[in-house]
Amino acid sequence: MSTTRWPRYFILPVALIVLWQLWGMTLPARSRAPVPLDVLASAVELVASGRLPMAILQSLGRVGLGFLVAGAIALVLGLLMGFFRPVERNLDPIIESFRPVAPIALLPLAILWLGTGTPAAVFIVAYAAFFPMIVNTIAGVKGVERRLVQAAQTLGVPQLTILRTVVLPAALPSIFVGVRVAMGLAWMSIIAAELAVGSKGGGGGSGGVGEMMFVFYAYYIELDSIVVCMIAVGLVALAIDHGLRWLQRWLMPWAEQYR
Amino acid sequence: MSHPATTGPKLRLDAVRKTFTVPRSGAEVVAVETADLAIEAGEFLTIVGPSGCGKSTILNMLAGLELPTGGTVAMDGRKITGPAAERGMVFQDYALFPWKTVFENIEFGLRYGPHGKGLSTAERRSRVARCVELVGLGGSEQKYPHELSGGMRQRCGIARLVANEPDVLLMDEPFAALDAQTRIILQEELLRIWGETGDRAERRTVVFITHAIDEAVFLSDRVVVMSAHPGRIIEILDVDLPRPRTDATRTRPEFQALSQTIWNLIRDEVYRAATAAGSAGGAGD
Ligand SMILES: Nc1ncnc2c1ncn2[C@@H]1O[C@H](COP(=O)(O)OP(=O)(O)O)[C@@H](O)[C@H]1O
Ligand SMILES: [Mg+2]
Repeated sequence: MSTTRWPRYFILPVALIVLWQLWGMTLPARSRAPVPLDVLASAVELVASGRLPMAILQSLGRVGLGFLVAGAIALVLGLLMGFFRPVERNLDPIIESFRPVAPIALLPLAILWLGTGTPAAVFIVAYAAFFPMIVNTIAGVKGVERRLVQAAQTLGVPQLTILRTVVLPAALPSIFVGVRVAMGLAWMSIIAAELAVGSKGGGGGSGGVGEMMFVFYAYYIELDSIVVCMIAVGLVALAIDHGLRWLQRWLMPWAEQYR
Repeated sequence: MSHPATTGPKLRLDAVRKTFTVPRSGAEVVAVETADLAIEAGEFLTIVGPSGCGKSTILNMLAGLELPTGGTVAMDGRKITGPAAERGMVFQDYALFPWKTVFENIEFGLRYGPHGKGLSTAERRSRVARCVELVGLGGSEQKYPHELSGGMRQRCGIARLVANEPDVLLMDEPFAALDAQTRIILQEELLRIWGETGDRAERRTVVFITHAIDEAVFLSDRVVVMSAHPGRIIEILDVDLPRPRTDATRTRPEFQALSQTIWNLIRDEVYRAATAAGSAGGAGD
């Protein structure tokens, strides 16, 4: 009916937010329920002061670093394990025995070894990101059409070159599924790890969005700010996934079915 | 060109036997039973037979993609132990690299395989460009395989093989998935690319698989007829039709007589396979 389409999709969310605000205004003044207008005010303050962007950048930097480390190892191991049976037979039991251990369960170990700063956070991220990537890389390699490998073999191409020029690109769509799952997990784990490490009054905290949330919770009891952080964490995750999808289309213009 | 180690045939199957073990039941399937065959250099040889008679298995052993369970497969007197650039292959389902353009697909063997060693980038490109023209793909170089028709994809598959200049061309039902018209055009083009009109000594060795009898007769110097269960060579026939083969070839009485002879050889088998497939679920592809 209307000339623009978007208002329709926004009717429900906007109505819910208005209801939430109205309900909040009926509560006594110092209740702890966050209401939209307060959250908005808090968001403006946190962004304008640069605190939230800095914290996000710090967390993102750790995710990026841990992700690169995990990605490099998972890619090389996954390609070799998927392509050469003996490699898989030897490494699979090791990997499978670590897989059920949740990233956050490694935190005590990480802190003892690496302290509470960036190295421990990167370690947790890398650990979280590693498994979805290696599992999907192996599955992708095994799913590569045998015909394509045979075509390269009958052109005389050596095995290791085939791994790079045929198996890797053919497995890329599946590898990318792993990358996206891993990225989601890595981002969740970094927030969890930073939250769990928390902060001690005079420094020694983890930094990042997670520590920020911890500080608001433990020292200031600012629910509005915590909600702002939660929303920010969600938006960042959304943005990362969109970025990865864009990268996927750019890297694999031939893979129509993955549009 | 490589020089044969002996003056014998280009390719030789010597009492070749191939069995497969079915994974779950552990049962043994005899795909090929004691096949003997000598293929001369420059010969266009076709293998026909009902589905499941072991045609692909023989071709895969010639390629080195499968190894025989018994006997030997040899090229120029040397045992074949694995795939090599000397024995290139064209597949029924094309097997083009979907992430590569037509040009890059055709360039693939020269770029990453041994036959491109010693070629400069410019030399490699110009050879690829020549092959693009040879198969009539000019103007489609920058397209991806999914943008091509079946006929064009197979032209690309053939160009990829020809660009790599193998000694032996192995083709596994390359035209089976194409419509009848495209098929006839590609048959004639294949003969031209093979060098039908040129000097005999310039021709490469071709081993071509089909289940279409007319295709086998039209293309070949010799036709190998196989039967199934177990896969066996039952007859090897010379095709004494003049080259170059044209539309007129198909209407010649010798063409029709030979086609009929081959049909008589495998007819019972085809009927049996067709009815068995109905009752027993049938093996084969
Ligand atoms: N990898 C395999 N494992 C088990 N059986 C196979 C395998 N490949 C082929 N066979 C069997 O060997 C026989 C010959 O197969 P194939 O060479 O593909 O026949 P064709 O190409 O003439 O149709 C068939 O019965 C088929 O089921
Ligand atoms: Mg076959």
